[in-house]
Amino acid sequence: MEKILDRVQSFFLDMSITEIMNHSVISVRPDRTLRQVKEILRIKRISGLPVVDNNRKLIGIVSIEDIIKALEGGYIDDTVENRMTKNVVSIDSTATLKEVIEFFEKWPYGRFPVIDNERRLVGIVTKNDVMMALLAKLGLVYLHDERRREVLDSPEYFARSLLTGERLDKSGADFYFAIDYFDINLAGVGASKLRQFLLSKGVDEKTARRVSIATYEAETNVVIHSGSTGAIYCFIKPESIFVRVEDTGKGIEDVELAMREGYSTAPDYVRELGFGAGMGLANMKRCSDNMIVMSKVGAGVVVEMEFLRGREAKQ
Amino acid sequence: MKISQVVERLGLEVCCGNCEQEILYGCSGDLLSEVMSHAKPSSIWVTVQSHVNIVAVAAISGIKAIVLCNDHKYPQETIVKAEHEGICLLKTSKSPFEVAGLLYSIGIKS
Repeated sequence: MEKILDRVQSFFLDMSITEIMNHSVISVRPDRTLRQVKEILRIKRISGLPVVDNNRKLIGIVSIEDIIKALEGGYIDDTVENRMTKNVVSIDSTATLKEVIEFFEKWPYGRFPVIDNERRLVGIVTKNDVMMALLAKLGLVYLHDERRREVLDSPEYFARSLLTGERLDKSGADFYFAIDYFDINLAGVGASKLRQFLLSKGVDEKTARRVSIATYEAETNVVIHSGSTGAIYCFIKPESIFVRVEDTGKGIEDVELAMREGYSTAPDYVRELGFGAGMGLANMKRCSDNMIVMSKVGAGVVVEMEFLRGREAKQ
Repeated sequence: MKISQVVERLGLEVCCGNCEQEILYGCSGDLLSEVMSHAKPSSIWVTVQSHVNIVAVAAISGIKAIVLCNDHKYPQETIVKAEHEGICLLKTSKSPFEVAGLLYSIGIKS
């Protein structure tokens, strides 16, 4: 997991802090006592509180360490104002993930209040928030043009795994299937073959079913949407099944939009066949335990999915 | 319940497949993704889709039998593929609504 995070982090360095921070930040007024702060920390299970004045401007911060010192020093009933840290290290709401990470490296603090251009408190960011934001993005790699080009135009793009960063030895894949047809009636051949192959290798029914449903959706997408040929690779690992479906076709304009259930760009004749319900990507996400979609208009789509063995699909 | 018992009680026409297989559940729908995400293994599937992809969807989802409604016909390639995959193809002039209701009434649940 850490490897994935490290690797993915670089994709998202220009993500805005407003996407990462916790907006519903709990703060405290300076006239409160440390004892009250202790109760807030205990009940809310947090480790620090920004201090704001009547205009919500940030004037200080108290942490759980201050509370411990107050208990030891016997001044727990003192006011926040007298004991808070006044020189707060805060981050501007215009910052990016890159700056947030630099802050965590530079300062020994576990949290940073986020302020607007008038020093008003608008959020708070912890390492946990960074991790959660990256995890949320993990199922959905959508890079900004410049960064995307860098990744997609490099020969590495088709040679490395997006999920693990490892070099993929595709010639060593346990299963390979070329999607070299444009006939919608042939869609599903690869997924059906993969299912039979997995069962023949002793993979359990439930897992084989999940893998083949997700692969069928990916294969259908290549046939309906890419306007190009593609390939299915599968690697069988002791703990999981790893599938990569790639094409070099039209690409997806907006991955986030495509992930939405019900969104589809399928032509009418395909819809009449029962495709194009706009559930493909959502179905893949539901069936897999980890999934990354990477695409650029004109440079194709790569979908990587990991399926932990012996599990049911998420509902 | 065996597929043959369902065929008998609903008066369905058998196009191909082994009717001695057991089914446990039923599902209905004409959107393939929808069916794949909801169908349980060992199901009978009520639909108006007849093109060849229904066989792939059935094989992948573990659906054992397909009931094609409203008097639609299976194309030859669908039948060939279903025979190859061991999927039982059935047809009827009844509507999907009616077939689903009848299946439910004889004890097949979702």
